[in-house]
Amino acid sequence: MTSNTLQITGLSRRFGNVLALDDFNLSLGKGELVALLGPSGCGKTTALRIVAGLEREDSGQVILGDRDITNVPAHQRNMGMVFQAYSLFPNLTVEENVAFGLQMRKVDKAKRMKKAHELLDLVGLDSQSKRYPHQLSGGQQQRVALARALAFEPDVLLLDEPLSALDAQVRANLREEIRRLQLSLGTTTLFVTHDQEEAMAISDRVGVMSHGKLEQIASPDTLYNSPATAFVAGFVGTMNRIVTKLSQGNVTIFGKSVPAKSTGFSDGDVIALLRPEKVVIAQESRSPNATVITRSFLGAASQITCRTQDGNIIQSLMPSYESGELHPGSQVTLSTTQEEVLIAHV
Amino acid sequence: MAALKKRSFSQSLSIILLILIGILIALPLIGATEFSLRDGGRAKHNFHSYTWIFKQEDFFINATTTFEIALVALLVTFILMVPTVAWLHIYGKKYIRFVEIITVLPLIIPVVALATGAQLALPGWLQSTKYVLSMMYVVLAMPFTFRALDIGMRGVQLEVLVAAGRNLGASWRAVILKVITPVILPSIFAALFLTVALSLGEFTLAQLLHWNTFPTWVAVAAQGNILGATALSVGSLLAAWLLLFSFTFFDRKKTNHQEAA
Repeated sequence: MTSNTLQITGLSRRFGNVLALDDFNLSLGKGELVALLGPSGCGKTTALRIVAGLEREDSGQVILGDRDITNVPAHQRNMGMVFQAYSLFPNLTVEENVAFGLQMRKVDKAKRMKKAHELLDLVGLDSQSKRYPHQLSGGQQQRVALARALAFEPDVLLLDEPLSALDAQVRANLREEIRRLQLSLGTTTLFVTHDQEEAMAISDRVGVMSHGKLEQIASPDTLYNSPATAFVAGFVGTMNRIVTKLSQGNVTIFGKSVPAKSTGFSDGDVIALLRPEKVVIAQESRSPNATVITRSFLGAASQITCRTQDGNIIQSLMPSYESGELHPGSQVTLSTTQEEVLIAHV
Repeated sequence: MAALKKRSFSQSLSIILLILIGILIALPLIGATEFSLRDGGRAKHNFHSYTWIFKQEDFFINATTTFEIALVALLVTFILMVPTVAWLHIYGKKYIRFVEIITVLPLIIPVVALATGAQLALPGWLQSTKYVLSMMYVVLAMPFTFRALDIGMRGVQLEVLVAAGRNLGASWRAVILKVITPVILPSIFAALFLTVALSLGEFTLAQLLHWNTFPTWVAVAAQGNILGATALSVGSLLAAWLLLFSFTFFDRKKTNHQEAA
């Protein structure tokens, strides 16, 4: 473990009858960007606020490097945070906002203003340094908040859905900017979001949470291609859910038997989970097993939606140049390239 | 056309009402000012009643006493009310309604009962100083100070700003002084002004607890010199107005400065 590694062990937090965090464990390597992804109420923000010291835990530990900071008050944790809501101090100018953390650390005025301008330059807002927050757009305010959170060189940067209040274009740009800054400064970062695209695009690892627990934590590629549970498979990316039967470790998909990842399942009705790009459509066939309902042109790829003879609605993603002949009503044969299929309970 | 007529009618009605209210407030003031300027009841007008005030030795003693009481009431209000209302907004939102009801009690409970309560509940060392009145004025002003601060804090996302302040390294003291106070400064000014205004004019409680303050002295002085007493009332009203204007002026100057930048 490097000295700046953040380690969270056995964290639990209950709000009334709701168990927001249930024995939650996570560790971050130095300079790593880890995203916590999950639906609302899964406990991701609670975990982040406990790490920041803004929320107390019922049990568990937060360790920064080799220091147990579980009982250290928020203002002594040296963690920068960007909030979902606009959090700039309205009575301070942009540069004063960015310098606030250094002011609290008793850094002299000349030094802290120099640092504030460096950070504002990094986020491209040095020209706005004398303005007040209400004179900036939402995207600019969040960039200032990012500069403010980084100005005092925090041990860990915490991002609590900082992009969710912004419109799509600004969100995409700022997300890239966060990653660029994080990589250039090498700041260990914990990023909470409910937007899978956001999490997958900029993170080294993504942790998918459900009901206060970490379901799986892995690189975006692994998470997408080898989801550990049906919840992860359903939450990350698009997934076809095919009602079928499990028999002796195999499921029947499009009339063919395919091995299933069937740990803990008994024979009977199950749902097979299949990514759209793993569904292959053959047009010329003597024994079609599905009918095309729609074809959506997405650019390089097209999304074809079909109905199988047994009533399942299946989506397939294939190169647009291969799918030009497909029209609503076309009779086709579906098959899969997936060698082992993940299954879920009906 | 009909809508326009309706609008101009409601506008005229507003103006008439405003003038009527203006007259209602202004007439007694104009009357009192005119009366205070009369020279011993004669038609001649001069500032004799006003110069008489400054010749009274008790004027300075009592005015200083009241000023000191008001200053302590102002400090206690700031130290007690700002963190309390902030705490309610950050951690105790569900208690706000309850506290709001509690703060109205000084308006309902008769001042005699409050005075008796103060004598029974407050420690002896405090009762032996004039600052017992400061404490009581903090309580009496609470219905107004609580509301002024509550409205100010409702207008900003205090919870997020405080979390940001804490995260950036601000201790609770720094959060109160550098984050909360500057953000809701107009509301704090309003709350403090109300406390000072109440402290400067309160008579009953001071009389019941046997303290000589400016208002109790005015009551005594009025028995010997009615013109002087009227001049005193007009003068203290003017002072309170000046105070209010200075608060508003400072507040507006600050807002303009922020907007102009």
